[in-house]
Amino acid sequence: MKILALRGTSLVAFLALWQWAAWVPVSFNFPTPWATLLALVELLRSGALLAATATSLQSLALGFVAAVVIGVPLGLVMGVARGFGRVARVYIDLLIALPTAALIPLVILSFGISIASSAVIVFVFSAPFITMNAYGGVRDTRPRLVEMARTFGASWLQLFGRVVLPSALPMILAGMRLGLSRAFLGLIVAELLLSPFGLGKLIMTSRSMFEHDKMFATVVWTLILSGAALAVLARVEGRMLRWRA
Amino acid sequence: MARLMAAPVGIAMQAVSKNFGAVQALVGIDIEVKAGEFLSLIGPSGCGKTTLLKCIAGLLPVDAGRIVIGSRSVSGPGGREASLVFQDFALLPWATARENAEFGLRLRGVPAAERAEAARRALAKVGLAGSFEQAYPAQLSGGMQQRVGLARALAVNPQVLLMDEPFASIDEQTRRILQDDLLRMWSEERKTVVLVTHSMEEAIYLSDRVVVLSPRPGKVHRVLDVPLPRPREARDVRASGEFARLVDELWQILKRMQ
Amino acid sequence: MIAAGMQEPAFGRSGFLAIAVLLVVWEILGRLQLSIFVPAATTVAEAWWRLAAAGTLTSAGASSLVSLAKGFALAAVLGIALGLAMGRFRTVRYLLDGWINAFMSAPLSALVPVLIALFGIRDTVVAATVFLFSLFVIIVNTMTGVRGTERSLVDMARSFGASEAALFARIYLPSALPAVMLGLRLGAVQAVKGMVVGEMLISLVGMGERLIYYGNTFLIPELYAVIVSVLLVAIVASTLVQMCERALVRWK
Repeated sequence: MKILALRGTSLVAFLALWQWAAWVPVSFNFPTPWATLLALVELLRSGALLAATATSLQSLALGFVAAVVIGVPLGLVMGVARGFGRVARVYIDLLIALPTAALIPLVILSFGISIASSAVIVFVFSAPFITMNAYGGVRDTRPRLVEMARTFGASWLQLFGRVVLPSALPMILAGMRLGLSRAFLGLIVAELLLSPFGLGKLIMTSRSMFEHDKMFATVVWTLILSGAALAVLARVEGRMLRWRA
Repeated sequence: MARLMAAPVGIAMQAVSKNFGAVQALVGIDIEVKAGEFLSLIGPSGCGKTTLLKCIAGLLPVDAGRIVIGSRSVSGPGGREASLVFQDFALLPWATARENAEFGLRLRGVPAAERAEAARRALAKVGLAGSFEQAYPAQLSGGMQQRVGLARALAVNPQVLLMDEPFASIDEQTRRILQDDLLRMWSEERKTVVLVTHSMEEAIYLSDRVVVLSPRPGKVHRVLDVPLPRPREARDVRASGEFARLVDELWQILKRMQ
Repeated sequence: MIAAGMQEPAFGRSGFLAIAVLLVVWEILGRLQLSIFVPAATTVAEAWWRLAAAGTLTSAGASSLVSLAKGFALAAVLGIALGLAMGRFRTVRYLLDGWINAFMSAPLSALVPVLIALFGIRDTVVAATVFLFSLFVIIVNTMTGVRGTERSLVDMARSFGASEAALFARIYLPSALPAVMLGLRLGAVQAVKGMVVGEMLISLVGMGERLIYYGNTFLIPELYAVIVSVLLVAIVASTLVQMCERALVRWK
């Protein structure tokens, strides 16, 4: 109960801070929490928000699914074929260290301004993390379990399917969660820059028209959307990993 | 319960040597384990007792000599005659107790209904029947986890049981209970058992013979007979003078090797 | 779980080999002129020298690095302080961890327009973005480090009558130091990402602006040159922190 009270207090404190920021003359652009809420309702009602969300989710789904479908097997292969893994991880580490946003102009030049571009950007943002987590999951397999399975006569295929893969699953799923959060990040940066599409466009348009309450509302909506998507993924993860202590 | 049991077989280790690069782990090991015998391997740290056990299991290839289990020469892991019990239990954390007990059978392609039945029987034999079947390792105590490990080893119906310090990670009270349960199970189904241990008490309490290995490079230093009457779990063997004398004799042998 | 997947680049012999191979393949592909979007490595190197000589890279880089330093320094100070407080005091943790978790997985780039609304289109936005991007990683790692302090050490110190301040200075802080350094290293990489995102979105100063400019004007070798520069900044920043770590945490 005390925990709930504390969390509630911090939420109230946040709203109060926001309200104060809106009143202070320095940031005259700041809409109040209430104005934001009203704008959110209006945007939902007019359908603009949902249309933008649909467009955004298209790019997101395309890019993220591609990242999982390519990234997880790649990471698994890297973990099993040690030599290949050692070399490949250098490239992936570079991609992770690189501020991926820097690649956006290049992608736009190559693919034009389209949903495909956004999807590619989402892919580049999330795939390296998904791959490295799958790789790490395979590498972290307890040698003892492999040894045990060998004493019972397990073949290579059985070793991979019954020991390595289940053992790597927690890290693979965590990687997907991380990848999804990165995917949203990439999506939003891409759309803020590309502008003709989705939630990013809505944010930039609202800003350029000085409709700051609409802009804030869209930002809040985006954060809620990404939070919800991640929560769903976390739920799935929890279900699949019920055996954990 | 009347069931076809695999008759135990003996193990012959003939002039076995094993080295890791420049390090000689084992040299000229000659040991005959009789069928149905309970034999312990003991020795100071680094004497190679676990290495020898892994060689018997086929996990490590020998560099000289050979190991024969029954009539078959050991050439790799996964042989049908022997199964292993591990010090850290080696249970699959994502599988229930029953699924873990079934693991060896599953790898051999035994159909689901049959292996579930065999696993249940094995779990009952080690005292884990009923609701424990559905528990995950994380929900079980160390002692219970090792029982699952033992059930898994028994479910594949081996003729030889190889145990690598199976009770070392378990508290002493539970350890004594598990030792008695092991003896009870062993007297019902005579298997050949080779047990690696650090504990002199455990070696004397459980075994027919104790093989003492010397510090690296490991050689057979002494073989001690343990003529204590069986069943030992039924009487207060530990309180007897004969037990204390044997433990002390073993200690003297080990002490002089340091 | 954020630490998983963000392991330090393991450069070594295979690392240099891999990069050498990459450069060679890149050169070949570029020479083949498969696409105007893939210039040869040497062309990019040329462009890089040109930009460096003209001072473009230096001034853009300087602006970027100043914002980076400002934002990261603030994030480090505030992040470590909050992380310590959250690790030590349950109340603080319950108050803040909801927000921290929310922000760690949120697309922080969505907040940049908010920052622009707050500060206007100026370089302060870049520093603020850097701050936002790196703050949370630092907090989480610091907090984890403090919470991971062995209970027995704390009990031991208290049994000798240690005060709260002494506990912090002699037990919690040293014990949490490796985790704090990890947080700073990850934070440095995140900071550089934030720097680029911020600069690209306000399109005013720094290397991010150059990326947008060269993209818009189809100056592709120059674009690549800036991308490589940005990557170098990220690697150097991370390595600097690693060096500090090695100096401070010798007992690990």
